[in-house]
Amino acid sequence: MNDVYVIGVGMTPFRRAAREDLAGLGRIAALEALRDAGLTPAAIGGGYFANVLGPQLTGEVTAGQFVLASIGVRRVPIVNVENACSSGSTALWLAVNGIRAGEFDVALVLGAEKMSVPGLGLLRGGSEELETQLGMVMPASFALRAARYLHEFEVTPAALAQVAVKNRRHAALNPLAQFREPVTLAQVLDSPLIADPITRLQCCPTADGAAAAVLASGRVARADRRAVRVDAAVLCTGSYQNPTDLVRWETDRRGSRMAYERAGIGPEDLDVVECHDAFTIAEVLHTEALGLCGPGEGARLAVEGATALGGRIPVNVSGGLLSRGHPLGATGCAQLIEIVQQLRGAGGARQVEGARVGLAQCMGGDQSGDAKSCTVFVASR
Amino acid sequence: MTAELPPFVPGVFQAGASGPVLLGSRCGSCQQHFFPACELCPDCLSATSTAELGAHGRIYSHTVVRTKPPLGLPAPYAVGYVDLDDCGLRVFALLDPALVGRLQIGLPVRLAVAPLGTDQHGQPCLRPYFTAEPA
Repeated sequence: MNDVYVIGVGMTPFRRAAREDLAGLGRIAALEALRDAGLTPAAIGGGYFANVLGPQLTGEVTAGQFVLASIGVRRVPIVNVENACSSGSTALWLAVNGIRAGEFDVALVLGAEKMSVPGLGLLRGGSEELETQLGMVMPASFALRAARYLHEFEVTPAALAQVAVKNRRHAALNPLAQFREPVTLAQVLDSPLIADPITRLQCCPTADGAAAAVLASGRVARADRRAVRVDAAVLCTGSYQNPTDLVRWETDRRGSRMAYERAGIGPEDLDVVECHDAFTIAEVLHTEALGLCGPGEGARLAVEGATALGGRIPVNVSGGLLSRGHPLGATGCAQLIEIVQQLRGAGGARQVEGARVGLAQCMGGDQSGDAKSCTVFVASR
Repeated sequence: MTAELPPFVPGVFQAGASGPVLLGSRCGSCQQHFFPACELCPDCLSATSTAELGAHGRIYSHTVVRTKPPLGLPAPYAVGYVDLDDCGLRVFALLDPALVGRLQIGLPVRLAVAPLGTDQHGQPCLRPYFTAEPA
């Protein structure tokens, strides 16, 4: 089985109302990743394009072939990928496995989203799903976890809110992040309630943006001194077991355990983590599922600074979804890009000193109190 | 007449001897209960049959959604997970909007059905929700 490395990355700023359309955003990120890898389009053996809302908002289908053809990637297999918020990381997972299987030596993975459109509203599941017809909306699914978490572990809403303060402080150091102005704990807590106890500043913003990575087999990557090795790439799906435990997320734990096993490491070996902080409570639950702390201790990590830059295990130094922004299809790629930059020592003002092993965790979709999709990547240099 | 309003979707609740009951499925082979209803048991792929899941339970978690509500639901509206007494399932459900401010984990609740929001065609419809058990 081939080893897989990341040899090029590129991304646009994440922001509201970008001038570019979906294809334009995608081109910028993909070209930057190609240049970063020092490759021409002819070197690409396979392409993956992650996007969620294009088919729904503008009727785009097979957008990946359209975007990639415009930067010269033709003839090779190209796959369009949708796995909700984990579409980008699912596309990465496919590319890793394509290279491992020997289908090609170099793959281009591009995630892009254009979601600044009037009247988008809250994201929901498909209308065929009963929960949607009973009023389930994305913030509610995490608010229900938060309410249960506060109840079981006697944690205050202020402890959860601290995650938003921390990630905003990180985003101030990331020129590509959507929101870079620091916020205070009082501002987070006093922002309007969206779904009790989650306030607006504890919800990730929608954004336009694109992020791309060039992945290569060891054969190709050997000459690249900046190459970052992918030690584990895990994609798993919810069990939908009933009754489900909303604060000890089995799918999250299962995905993490598989990633650690495959990488041959444990949580104590990690230097930097990006996780799917779509809401403050999400980061708290993921840090527990990843084994960075025990059950009920996740909220304390942000309060005590353990997950801040300079802390024991910095989490979401990019600003996370909460402050970098969350263009659905691009997020999974952006997370791995942050880890790659950190491991290259190219993290700039937010560099985690001496980072050698990183992890990126993402989730997508919601059903029966479980995630439909969970990805975990471990990478090292 | 509310009785003439259609349900928001068919097959989720029905009238019982002492009020509405929630409907799901039961596997004919391994006897597990499921909600929402499913045609095949996901564990043994045996055919399931419609099963009454009961009407009583306790709130496992709850929230009040304060953004612009979907489906013509009231603003704000409440949702939660309810642990059902009879079958042990934990089900996602609407909670009585009148309970906003009084919701508590562990609160005993029972199923009710009333006009609540609109269906996929924007027409008024009946929806099931859990409300507090009478004191």
